[in-house]
Amino acid sequence: MAELHKLVAALRTALEADTAASPHAPAERPAMPVAPDGFRAELAARFARELEAVGGRLLGILTPAEAIDRIVAIAKETNPRLVAIADGAAGDCAAIAAALDAAGFAVMRTTPTTDDGARAAIRDRLSRADIGIAEADYAIASTGTLAVLSTPNRPSSLTLLPPSSVIIVRVDRIVTDLAAALEALGPETLATHRMTLITGPSRTADIEKRIVLGVHGPKSLDVIVVWPHDD
Amino acid sequence: MTESPKPRDFFQASEAGAADHELHRKLESASARHLGHFVQVRDEFAPYEDERSAARAIKQDSIGRLDELLIELTRRLEAHGCKVFFAADAAEARDYIVALARRSGAHRIVKGKSMTTEEIALNPALEQAGIEVLETDLGEYIVQLRGEPPSHIITPAIHLSKEDIGDLFHVKLGIPYTPEPAELTAVARSRLRESFLRADLGITGVNFAIAETGSLIVVENEGNGRMSSTLPEVFVAVMGIEKVIPKLADLPHFLEILGRTATGQKLTTYTNFIQGPRAPGELDGPREMHVVILDNGRSAMLADPVLREALMCIRCGACLNVCPVYRRIGGHAYQSPYPGPIGSIISPNLVGSAAAHLPFASTLCGACKDVCPVKIDIPRILLHLRWKESASPTPPQWPGAARRARAGARRFARMARHPRTMRLMGRIVALMLRPLAHDGWIRRMPPPFGNWTKLRDFPAPRPGRPRATENQDAKL
Repeated sequence: MAELHKLVAALRTALEADTAASPHAPAERPAMPVAPDGFRAELAARFARELEAVGGRLLGILTPAEAIDRIVAIAKETNPRLVAIADGAAGDCAAIAAALDAAGFAVMRTTPTTDDGARAAIRDRLSRADIGIAEADYAIASTGTLAVLSTPNRPSSLTLLPPSSVIIVRVDRIVTDLAAALEALGPETLATHRMTLITGPSRTADIEKRIVLGVHGPKSLDVIVVWPHDD
Repeated sequence: MTESPKPRDFFQASEAGAADHELHRKLESASARHLGHFVQVRDEFAPYEDERSAARAIKQDSIGRLDELLIELTRRLEAHGCKVFFAADAAEARDYIVALARRSGAHRIVKGKSMTTEEIALNPALEQAGIEVLETDLGEYIVQLRGEPPSHIITPAIHLSKEDIGDLFHVKLGIPYTPEPAELTAVARSRLRESFLRADLGITGVNFAIAETGSLIVVENEGNGRMSSTLPEVFVAVMGIEKVIPKLADLPHFLEILGRTATGQKLTTYTNFIQGPRAPGELDGPREMHVVILDNGRSAMLADPVLREALMCIRCGACLNVCPVYRRIGGHAYQSPYPGPIGSIISPNLVGSAAAHLPFASTLCGACKDVCPVKIDIPRILLHLRWKESASPTPPQWPGAARRARAGARRFARMARHPRTMRLMGRIVALMLRPLAHDGWIRRMPPPFGNWTKLRDFPAPRPGRPRATENQDAKL
C-alpha cells in the first residue's frame, strides 16, 4: 500500500507540473476528480474493453512522449494528406503538431476567430483533413465513452468531419459511469458549452439491423490514454 | 396532415400487411435481432430495474410541473441566445419554420432524424415553399427516396430488405446494383456529406431538454444530428412540451435505459448537448438557434388523468418490436407517424380524430407494458381510449364488420349480466362447437363467425368448467 500511495502522490505532482508547464491548457477546466487509490488501472482497463466492444481501438496507455511517437506512427501507417489538431490537446499539442510536421505531414491547428471568411476557410480545410486529433475532457469506463466539450479552440467538427478520429484522454479523467462524468462536468459547464458524448465510431443499423461503421462521422476511433509518468 | 386516413383504410392496410409474408420475414428478423441485443445488455446491467423506476419517477414529477419547468427552460435558452417559439398546433410550428427558412434565405435544409417533425408534416410544407429538404438519417434518407413515411420510430426502413434498398439506390441514385449494407452506406455517406457542407439550415428533434442548464439533448448513432446542429448557420430544434426534465443529474437515468431498450446499446454513439448558438470565436455551431416547443394535443393529454401517463414516453420503439400486431401488419398500416402500441395511445391526440380507431388495433397482450423502459401501462390507456371513443357523441365511421362486432359485443354484454342464461348458453354453444373441433382446436367456423377463424384458431371447448375460471386458477 505504501508504494501505491507514493505512486499516486508522484502522479499528482507530475500532473500538476504538467498542467502548469503547458501554455495551451484550457483555463476553465473543472476541478479534477481523484479516483480512489489503485483504481485507475482498473478503470482504464474497463474503458478499453468497452471502447473495443463498440468498434473503437485503444492505442495504448502511454506517457506523453510515447503518445507523440504513437501518433506519428499512426500517421505513417495511414499517410494522411492533412492532419487537424485542436489547440490545447493533450496538454501540449504544439509538441504533437511539431512532431507530425517534422515527419513531413501537413498539419492544421484550429484557432479561434470571429471573422466569417476565416471561419469558412477553416471549416473547408477541416472537411478535407484525414485525421482529427483532440483531447477529451472525460472518459467513461462503463460504456467506453469520451466526453468532448466544444470550445473556441476545439470545434465539434474536429471530431466529426475527418474520417479518422484520434482522441487523447488523461488517465485521471477516466470516471466510472455517465452519472460521474456529468457530475464532474457540472451544470455550469454544460450551460455554457456544447458537448458530445462519443461512444465508438459513427454507426448505423438501418439496413436490416446490420451494423455498419462510418455513416456520417468518423469511420475509425483510436484512443490514447495518457498516464504522465516515465518510470 | 395532407389527407386524413379513415378507419376503412386502416382495415384494408392492416389486412394487406397481415397477408404480406415477405414483410413478416423482415419484421420478425429485425425484431428478433433487436430483442437479442436488448436482453443481453439489460441482463448484464444490474441496476436496470432501479434505473427504470428512477426514470419513471422523474418523468412523473416533470409532467406534474411542466409549466414551471418549461418557463425555466425557456428562460435559460433565451439567456443563451436562442429564440424560443411555443407552437399550439402543427400548423403554427410549420408556419414558423417555413417563415424562418424564407427569412434567412435558406435553399437547402438538412434534417436529423425527428419524429416530431413527421408529426407536424414539416417536409411537405417546406417543399411547397420551394425549399429543398433532405433527410440525413440513413433510414429516413431511404424512405424519403422512396417517397414514403417511416414505418418504425427508430428503424424507419425496417420494412425493406437490403435488396429492396439496393434496387432503390440503383434506380434513384444511378449506382450499380449492390445489396451490401456497407457499400450502400458508403454511397449515402458521400452524397449526404456534400449536402451537410452546403446546407444553410439544419433541423433536428430533441430527446430531452434539461431545465436547469438549458441544454437540449439529441441522441443518435450516425452523426446526422451532430452535423445538422453543428454545420448550418441556422439551426432549429423541434420538441414536444413533454421532453423537459428538471436537472442534469436526472439525465443519466434516462440515457442508461434509452440506448439499451431502443437499439441494445449501452449508450448510443453520439449524445449531443446543445445549449445555444456559437459563442464569439467559436469555429462551428449555428449563428442563430431556434427552439420550437410544440403542444399539438399534448396539453389535452395532460388534462386526462389516465392518458397523462403516455407523455412519459421516451420514444425508444421497444413496444413496437414486441407487439404481435405491429409485427404482423407493419408500421405503415397504422397511417400515423407513431405506429405500434405507443402510437395507438398518442396518435389520437397528436394526429387527430383520424387515428381514433387505433386503440382498437390491439390484442391487449401486455408485452408493451412489460418492455416499456418507463413502465407506461399501455393496455390500461388503450382500454381508456376505447371507452372514451365509444362514449363519444360522434363515434367513428366503422366499416360493416366492425359495426357487427360491436353489436355482437353489446348482445353478449346483455347476456353476460345474467349468470344463469350465460351458463346455459355456454353449454349450448360448447355442444354445438364440439363436432367442429379437431385436435383441441377449431380451425373453421360457420358464418357469421367464419371471418374470425380466417386468421385465428379457436380452442375447442372442453367439458367441465369454463376456461376463464381455469386461467384464474392458473394465476393463483
